[in-house]
Amino acid sequence: MNAAIALKRGISAELYKFRRTFILWFLIIGPAFIPIINLLIFLLKGEQIVAEGVNPWQQLLQFSIDPGNFLFPFFVMIVALFVNSIEYNSNTWKLIYTQPLSRTTVYASKVKVFVLMIFFSLMLFGTFSILVGYIVKMAKPDLGFDQDFNHSLFFSLPFKVFLMTLGYASIQFWLSQRWKNLILSLGVGIGGFISFMILSQGWKYAPYHPYGYQILGLGNLRGPNFEVWTNMEYIYRSLGLAIVVFVLAGIDKVRKRII
Amino acid sequence: MSEPIIQTHGLGFYFKDFKALDQINLNVPKGSIFGFLGPNGAGKTTTIRLLLDLFHSKPGQVKVFGKELRENRVEILGKVGALIENPSIYKHLTGRQNLEVIRKMVNAPKNRIQEVLKIVRLVDNADKKAKNYSLGMCQRLGLASALLTDPELLILDEPTNGLDPSGIIEMRELIIELNREHGKTIFLSSHILSEIEKLATDVAIVDQGKILYQGKLDGLHQGNDSIELVIELDKVPEGASILKNMSYTISEENGRSIHIPIESKKEVAKINKALVDQDIEIYQLKTSEQNLESIFLNITKKLDQ
Repeated sequence: MNAAIALKRGISAELYKFRRTFILWFLIIGPAFIPIINLLIFLLKGEQIVAEGVNPWQQLLQFSIDPGNFLFPFFVMIVALFVNSIEYNSNTWKLIYTQPLSRTTVYASKVKVFVLMIFFSLMLFGTFSILVGYIVKMAKPDLGFDQDFNHSLFFSLPFKVFLMTLGYASIQFWLSQRWKNLILSLGVGIGGFISFMILSQGWKYAPYHPYGYQILGLGNLRGPNFEVWTNMEYIYRSLGLAIVVFVLAGIDKVRKRII
Repeated sequence: MSEPIIQTHGLGFYFKDFKALDQINLNVPKGSIFGFLGPNGAGKTTTIRLLLDLFHSKPGQVKVFGKELRENRVEILGKVGALIENPSIYKHLTGRQNLEVIRKMVNAPKNRIQEVLKIVRLVDNADKKAKNYSLGMCQRLGLASALLTDPELLILDEPTNGLDPSGIIEMRELIIELNREHGKTIFLSSHILSEIEKLATDVAIVDQGKILYQGKLDGLHQGNDSIELVIELDKVPEGASILKNMSYTISEENGRSIHIPIESKKEVAKINKALVDQDIEIYQLKTSEQNLESIFLNITKKLDQ
């Protein structure tokens, strides 16, 4: 049978099972969290924040991307947990792996849905952030949101974050697939992220730490010559790691006994 | 005779150093209800997981529909429906939505969902959330999802486990109906012997990873046609020692009665006389053909010695 059709079937089943689950709301509410706070800040304290001569869109971008980039790893850890724990909680690993699809297909469907969820959330985050700008523009015309600004940054930056995230996301996915215990994989993830924060203070190998690519690779938004597609080595490291880990996790799942 | 639907050849399996299965040679005939019997921990579920490739067997050990399992996995699983141990159900979805998840994976036509719901008699509750289902309904939903592909072979692991008597009867009727009216071969594991006795056409008895008996259900009774005598009496210990002196083996002894196997009914009179002569009061003498339960206990006990 055609592998592409099989994969499509796997993915559509995978998406269907998340109906009416908390995770679907999480994928929408999570990306809205920072934009909502920003909306409140600009509406209530806009005059104090927006400095003279600075494009408020630039400020909104920083207010969105910087905290977003910091919180996003935790979001990824939780999504990785959800897509796997739904099977543990329902005892359904044995159900999905006794269907007439190859193990590789069932595994790949799950990976694909996981990656799509992360991507979708980041794009939603960009959309929400732009919406904040337009709402403030209407509500407080004197803040200067009518100035020109390259809005595509609200999508290209999250897309860059997405690419730099896949590295540690793959690790989180593997851990959550292996361990039924939620605390274990969450603990490793948080430990990984915090250890990066500490090591980045001076360790010379910190740029190779998988939980830090998206922070080191983003670049300085405030810099005068800021460009999105620089620091490409972090993207390559992240993607390379993701490919290796997703393949290993797949081999693990295909060979493993399923209880 | 047509080729067996399931055929295992020298199937063995280890959990680290523990030998869970040893030289299992199963032959499940087409159209049968095959009872796979054994006490807890005998290796039933391990065998079933191997048959479904949840645990990997070695090449050449498992053939289903006459084909090597490892090499034809997807094709074979497309013709097999399985229900393994505790129900696999997404609790946040309704029964119908649970079936829809699997339907999408197996690419069955949409109206098949209604058909299988009818077969397992779950139509009325199909749109309730599965978390509100009773265990019996969960098991029937599991069976429904196993039936989605209209499989030729059903592999059911302890399908009546944990059900109340009416649930057990319902499940039993369902299994018989699937076998007789829908022509499905059913491979069914259980540790409840009376269940298998009422259902199966063929049985295999497994204990400690080994097959102890395999064949027709009727065949079990042959060669095991001894009679069991139950004696209800007032002085059990004295009675027991008299019987021991007469070189009988006591299979069960409790506060009120003694159970012994005997060869023929003529011995009953002899035993009665011996006991009465020693001033023991007898309240009841009852003989019974050995049922499957005691045969089973005998077979599995032999291995311990």
